[in-house]
Amino acid sequence: MSSSVIGHLILKDWRLNRLLISLSIGVGLIALVIAQYAGEVPRVVGAVWFFVSLCILGSMLPGSAILNERKKQTLAFVMSLPVSSVQYSIAKALSTTVMFLVPWLTLLISALVLIETRHAMPHGIIPMLLILAMLPLIGFCLISATALVGESEGWLMAASILCNSSYWLVWYLLARIPSLTANWTRPVAVWNSAALIVLSVELGSIASIVGLAFFLQSRKRDFI
Amino acid sequence: MNDLTTDLAVELSGVSKKYRYFTLEEIHLKLPRGQIMGLIGANGAGKSTTIRVLMGLVHQDSGEVRVLGHSMPAEQVAAKWDIGFASEDMRLYDSMTLDWHMRFMRSIFPNWDPAYAQLLLKRFGLRAEQQIKGISHGQRVKAALLLVLARKPQLLVLDEPTTGLDPVARHEVLRELTGVMAEEGRSILFSSHNTQDVEQISDQITFIDRGRIIDSMDKETYLDRWRRLRLEVPLGIELPPLPGIVGVQRQGRLAVATSNAFAPDLAHAYEDTGVRVQSIESMTLEEIFVANVEHSREEVEA
Repeated sequence: MSSSVIGHLILKDWRLNRLLISLSIGVGLIALVIAQYAGEVPRVVGAVWFFVSLCILGSMLPGSAILNERKKQTLAFVMSLPVSSVQYSIAKALSTTVMFLVPWLTLLISALVLIETRHAMPHGIIPMLLILAMLPLIGFCLISATALVGESEGWLMAASILCNSSYWLVWYLLARIPSLTANWTRPVAVWNSAALIVLSVELGSIASIVGLAFFLQSRKRDFI
Repeated sequence: MNDLTTDLAVELSGVSKKYRYFTLEEIHLKLPRGQIMGLIGANGAGKSTTIRVLMGLVHQDSGEVRVLGHSMPAEQVAAKWDIGFASEDMRLYDSMTLDWHMRFMRSIFPNWDPAYAQLLLKRFGLRAEQQIKGISHGQRVKAALLLVLARKPQLLVLDEPTTGLDPVARHEVLRELTGVMAEEGRSILFSSHNTQDVEQISDQITFIDRGRIIDSMDKETYLDRWRRLRLEVPLGIELPPLPGIVGVQRQGRLAVATSNAFAPDLAHAYEDTGVRVQSIESMTLEEIFVANVEHSREEVEA
């Protein structure tokens, strides 16, 4: 029966945050429309908007879905339902992840479809697109984990600032790996070892963040 | 879903919880099924902490907590199906309507009684279609109570349910809580620093102060046992220390003695020493609470 309560909590979060999700999808799709126009300026503007929409969603969603429950004192209402603190954390992790993954996947698939059908960009960009798109996902995981475990706006802001300031640095560093950038303009996607290693590191980071968050959360003795 | 083999709705045995600046010490509490217990304490006395421990929201450092036969916090999920919890600082979702909240609760709780929910809407003067952010504090409290009551839980745990309510709203809430007890086996534990509310509906009363339970018994016993004796003490006579006297205030020849175990023999004992008993007065629950707290603090400091 508790699994059904977790389901209800996930649906509740979806309902409460659907405006934010719709907005981020809308902004991301507009960015992709801009990016398909010929010329460097529309492509750069479109690409920046595309990633910014995901980064902003990754920063705002944990605050709206996780921290607001404490800040706005609705946590006591949720915890009066037949769920334990661990089940609540699972519900929160699942709901925020789904709420992020829906726009993330929508925009990523839209970008891939655009590359495939409109030939707006060479296929060689696909590995880099995936690598770069993973960064807001990692940032989202880190900010969500911090919100869940840290339970304070200060921690959330610190994680948010850290992630948002790191994206540009990581992008800069990735752009300096020749084996990644050499294939950007090729007509086919090249999945070389550099691309696969970076993707593995990104996936490993996500697994570590989620694992650590649940470990710390399960050790808590006071939930409210 | 709850364990009906136990006669106790709530049982706390030797429960302690230590914080940096506050300690809940060795709490022992028993609420039999079918009764209402009022937990009275000043601000910061430990009422909310006690309630959070028994809801499984805060884990005790030591001691045992059983609610409706379930061990807490380990079995909190099973217990919470039959516990309705509301607290003064609990908020509903601002951007949603009361109707959305009612549908949300209905989707979770099979016991949800839609007819009763509609009745409560009417009685509390609430509008289901209104957004929570547009309603007053009193209406918010009543909305939270509606969501709890329409679930028909076996045990209601309410932390300061009447705080901040106007007299009419308070009356409505208390009347509804009394109505809950019409169904056999249902119990209520509620905390308040408003002794009038507690006196009005409680069967059992527990006083808590500085993290300790200082007294717990049924309401009638409190009101029967506590008395204030106005005394005239002639010059040269000392007031004897008598058993059952927990406080004496003296001003010249006049004194006021407070007893927590009054019996007619007590007045005779004073008169035997030459002291004249001017009057014996009943005490209100608030006076009993204050006297109890003062006596307890004196004992601790001594």
